[in-house]
Amino acid sequence: MLKKILAVLLVCMMVLPAGLSLAEEEAVTINFWHHYNAQSPENETLMNVLIPAFEAANPGIKVNAVSHEWAQLHDKVLISATSDSLPDVARCDIAWLPEFQAMGILVALDEEMADFAEVSGQLLDSAMSTASIGGHYYALALNTNSKIVFYNVQMLQDAGIEVPATMDQWVEAVKALSGENANGQQTWGWNEPALAGWNICPFIWSFGGALLSDDQTVATGYVNGPATVKAVETFAQLVQAEAITGFNAGDIPMTDGFGMGRYAMMLEGPWKSAELEGNYPDVPYATAPIPAGEGGSISVLGGEDIAMFNTANKEAAWLFMQFMTSEFAETEMAKCGQIPVNKAALESDTVKGASFAPFIEAIQTAKARPTVAAWSEMDNDLQNALYYVVTGEKTAQEAMDELAAKWDTLLK
Amino acid sequence: MITRSRMNRAQIIALLAPGLIVFGLFTVYPIIRLFMMSFCGIKLETMFVQPFCGLDNYVHVFSDPTFGTSFVNSIVYTAVTVPAQMALGLFIAILLNGIRRFSVTFRVINYLPVVTSWVIASLVFKYVFQTEGLLNYFLRTVIKVIPKNVKWLNERWGGMTVAMILGTWKGIGWNMVIFLAALQQVPKDLYEAADIDGCGAWKKFTHVTLPAIRGTILFAMVELTIGGFNVFTSIQMITGGKPADQTQTLLTWMYKNAFSLDHDIGYAAALSFVMAFTLGLLAVVQFRMMRSRDV
Repeated sequence: MLKKILAVLLVCMMVLPAGLSLAEEEAVTINFWHHYNAQSPENETLMNVLIPAFEAANPGIKVNAVSHEWAQLHDKVLISATSDSLPDVARCDIAWLPEFQAMGILVALDEEMADFAEVSGQLLDSAMSTASIGGHYYALALNTNSKIVFYNVQMLQDAGIEVPATMDQWVEAVKALSGENANGQQTWGWNEPALAGWNICPFIWSFGGALLSDDQTVATGYVNGPATVKAVETFAQLVQAEAITGFNAGDIPMTDGFGMGRYAMMLEGPWKSAELEGNYPDVPYATAPIPAGEGGSISVLGGEDIAMFNTANKEAAWLFMQFMTSEFAETEMAKCGQIPVNKAALESDTVKGASFAPFIEAIQTAKARPTVAAWSEMDNDLQNALYYVVTGEKTAQEAMDELAAKWDTLLK
Repeated sequence: MITRSRMNRAQIIALLAPGLIVFGLFTVYPIIRLFMMSFCGIKLETMFVQPFCGLDNYVHVFSDPTFGTSFVNSIVYTAVTVPAQMALGLFIAILLNGIRRFSVTFRVINYLPVVTSWVIASLVFKYVFQTEGLLNYFLRTVIKVIPKNVKWLNERWGGMTVAMILGTWKGIGWNMVIFLAALQQVPKDLYEAADIDGCGAWKKFTHVTLPAIRGTILFAMVELTIGGFNVFTSIQMITGGKPADQTQTLLTWMYKNAFSLDHDIGYAAALSFVMAFTLGLLAVVQFRMMRSRDV
């Protein structure tokens, strides 16, 4: 008993001075920029649940959260970087991090935070890969998303086709579902709304291909490697057979085409369910994982990370980042539809019963697009290269060889 | 003692100052800054650090294949829409000049496209011309002249043609008003003299009307050429530069580089000066052409 009392006293003696010194100091305010819509339930949770809970647990630290439009936040960070008016912490689209890192405005968390390994170990590895640039980690994964197959149950039933589980079955299914419907209207087996990395990467990876080397410094041998070329070739053949469409300026928009039974299948994210419910509540659809090829069933990762800028109050900012990625905060945000990356939160009943539950399996194996600063330019090159393949102006090998040479220059 | 002329001068300066200050601040200064930026390696993320890079941005512009595509697209767009708008606008103006009843009604009807929003008109044109759009429905289902839907917007010249049709349709009204005003200024006695000389309608048009409104034609041509090179909204809304940047025009390509691709403001600035130089050159050629006919 005496030992227990002594232990409690010892802990109190260790904690009390720290608490007193923090209280004695002036309150620290962390500026947190994010792009949760100001009217959204996510923002409600942030302002009324999460920030009060954080401030209660960390007396002496205040959080000033500012909501921005998605694109505006990106540009504001770029401009603020040069006028020394960056916030302490921001919720960033995973696609922005390489650009911010190249500008030298992000803190390398694995170098500066002693307990980084412990904190990041609680988060999904696949999601954390979005924060890894040049061998260091510049953010914590905050929430994630991915794409899975949405298919029109009726169209598959009418055609007597099973949901494709392998890439070979997928090719056959996409062909078989294309043609004309009872009204004489053209139908397509698959919709792909663009030819960017977000669209084509799941095929390349599932076919066993790659865009870049593991250290993301070389393209030749990867984006023009045999597996990538085969994926591109297969995709292009299906486009030429009028079995895939959606990326042309004159095509029916994705949701409308799927809702009206003109597109039989598509690869989409968790937001599509709400969109279909709102616009086409009667469309009979179900979801399935992306068909597996030689590389497995690999989808593409989206989502957001939480990053610290190098002008931040690092101690307070790190506490806030840990809090935002904690089981409690992630479970609260999951109630608003944000897919958590905290492993413990993923096991909670809230998450298991959520509408995004089918996506969680895909997220475990999904990959991030290259985290390199020149990605937006490379992505534009990729779209253009694929266009020449699908129109038959170049062979897949020719277009990918040219792309590899161009990318190697950009990566230097 | 302040002289009257000095007072006048002070008054003139005081009256001009507000306009000149606004013009200087918001037109002249940005042009000078933009010109300086075109020699700097400036990106959005390095707005306040602008390392001098000489002619690099200009070299980049001229070695960029998409610049070539955009330049050709802008030239073709201008070469097609400018004469088409002018010819149709003049034709309608001549018709309207000859009627008295319902003249205002016809003028309003023809001018309506001019005041229609570019965004809305572009969206309507997109709906008409998309693969599952109104035009294909009419051709395939109503009058059954095509077996399959035509993919108007899916390739370069299809997309550009739709933008050119929209540009022409929207510009006819403006030309009509300008030419109508000019036609009403042509002295009636010139036509009477031509009548006495036994001229037919075509000869009167070519030998009386056209020479009399030459100044207006030149004005419209220069204005419309600038407008043609500035085509942006329709392309952005209808094709968005698709497919594979093949329907980009100078302005849409400049915008994509500055604000979406990699925020290369220096490149966009250089591109804008290449475009301004081309337009200046074209204006000089147009003035020369009109002057040589004068002799």
